[in-house]
Amino acid sequence: MSLAFVVYPALDAIRLAFYSKLPFRNTFTFVGLENFRYVLADPVFWASARQAVVWTGVSILLQTVFGVAIALLLHQAVPDINLFRGLLLFPYMVPTVVIALIWRWMFNPEFGVVNATLKSTGVLHGDIYWFSDPSWAMVSTILLNVWKFTPFVVICVLARLQTIPVEIVEAAHVDGAGAWRRFLHIVLPQLKAVLAVVVVFRTIWTFNKFEEIYLLTRGGPGTSTFNLAVYAFEQTTANLKLGVAAATGVIMLVFLFAGSVFYLRLMRQQEA
Amino acid sequence: MMALGRAARRRLRAAFVYATLAVVTLIMCFPLLWALVTSVRPNEEMLSVRLVPDHVTGAHYRALLGGRSMYFEAGAGAYRASTAPSQHFLAWFANSTVVTLATTAVSVAVSTLAAYSLTRFRFVGQSVVPYISLLGYMTPSIIYVFPLFLAIVALGLADRLPSLVLGYLSITLPFSMWLMGAFLRSIPLEVEEAGLIDGASRFQVFRRIVLPLAVPGIVATSIFSFIVAWNDYLIARIFINSITQLPLTVGVMHFFEGTHVDWGLMMAAAVLITLPLAVLFMFVQRQLVVGFGAGAVKG
Repeated sequence: MSLAFVVYPALDAIRLAFYSKLPFRNTFTFVGLENFRYVLADPVFWASARQAVVWTGVSILLQTVFGVAIALLLHQAVPDINLFRGLLLFPYMVPTVVIALIWRWMFNPEFGVVNATLKSTGVLHGDIYWFSDPSWAMVSTILLNVWKFTPFVVICVLARLQTIPVEIVEAAHVDGAGAWRRFLHIVLPQLKAVLAVVVVFRTIWTFNKFEEIYLLTRGGPGTSTFNLAVYAFEQTTANLKLGVAAATGVIMLVFLFAGSVFYLRLMRQQEA
Repeated sequence: MMALGRAARRRLRAAFVYATLAVVTLIMCFPLLWALVTSVRPNEEMLSVRLVPDHVTGAHYRALLGGRSMYFEAGAGAYRASTAPSQHFLAWFANSTVVTLATTAVSVAVSTLAAYSLTRFRFVGQSVVPYISLLGYMTPSIIYVFPLFLAIVALGLADRLPSLVLGYLSITLPFSMWLMGAFLRSIPLEVEEAGLIDGASRFQVFRRIVLPLAVPGIVATSIFSFIVAWNDYLIARIFINSITQLPLTVGVMHFFEGTHVDWGLMMAAAVLITLPLAVLFMFVQRQLVVGFGAGAVKG
């Protein structure tokens, strides 16, 4: 029964990609590859894909860098990590809707604390229009994503850091290696495996994210923060093109599948 | 430069590490802290950027829970009542609670039984079920939410709360099954066989022996299902149309309609939505870490 609820809609989604539904009527017409032709000819689709790549790339890069840095700090400072691990998990539990509400308030151009602080410290003279300027809208969605998911990287990296034998790091210390070189040549190679897994997983999930973008900017201004998920959503709800959305979904699935295969390959390599 | 002693250098380094950690922790906590502060800040001081408010007010919470919203009209210098969507806040809260509890209960019951049959009995296609489950877990809901909605319409459940439970189960069940399977596999078969030999029925064995041992798995599954159901926006946005049937997450987004955005009210809502999760979090922090180890955190 449970499988019916997962497998059926997924297959139905693929079937719908080859059909066209007329608005306000419950009839489906088989149109072959027409939906895919529509999607691939739509400049908004390509813009969404490009923006999704930027959004995913920058988010993952920042999450990984901050995540590793914070994990290293925590590893140095706190012998018992369990308390912090719990605290770090909390942003995960906070609904995206709540984070989006807070973001809209903090980054409000006129009344928000972010612009006010930037101006009072002299960093900024005019206002930054966080949600109505296309580039800043992208920045604010990326910041939301980084804030919410950096803890994930921290926890994964920290777990791995704690299994690195202290002896090999100390040996390097005795041999006169500085902190940076110890990190680069001893610690980082040990982290390679866990980082690969984290990056692949986060990339797959971030690329297809919907709520993090839609709730903050609705994909706007215009279509400047669309990704494929928001594109599919808008095609269905605003344009009533269910088939087009389904075709987009199939393209997203292909990406997801490629990512998963890549991940499995990686796992097998590590086992070998 | 003055040469520092080894001990002094170590102390300096520790101070640096802790200072950086403090800054990081502050940045991590700031958005939630700011929401909390804003929710008790009087409207007249809304533009203040100080972390500690000069005056504390419960007006925003009263407005939300009292079922009607007040807004401060600067021109008239007085509070005015409004018929904002916030009057439905309590109904939304009840909807979210009912749907979340139902989803959690069904998810735990079905996944425990399904995982038990998966790990203890043999049937055709058994080996692929965990893989399909994981695939379902990885698939973003935007891909299947519209076909699922068509099925919900066909069932005559559109715009009703049970449709949400079904929708959330489609997210929680695959992974819950996989998670429970992992937990149940770790319970040795010998214990059960001993029970069966002693004359207990299959069901008695399940209830008396397996269930108590599976408690950590059940807790992890409950937390996961609870978070998915409470936090969802997309499914409810598609499935529900009437304003009284909405869960919290979709409901509060209606606060942005109209020309006036009441930020105090908004942040009070944000705090109240987070509250059940914070309470849950305090109780289950340890299990959460276990669940995380098993991958029970989708993002």
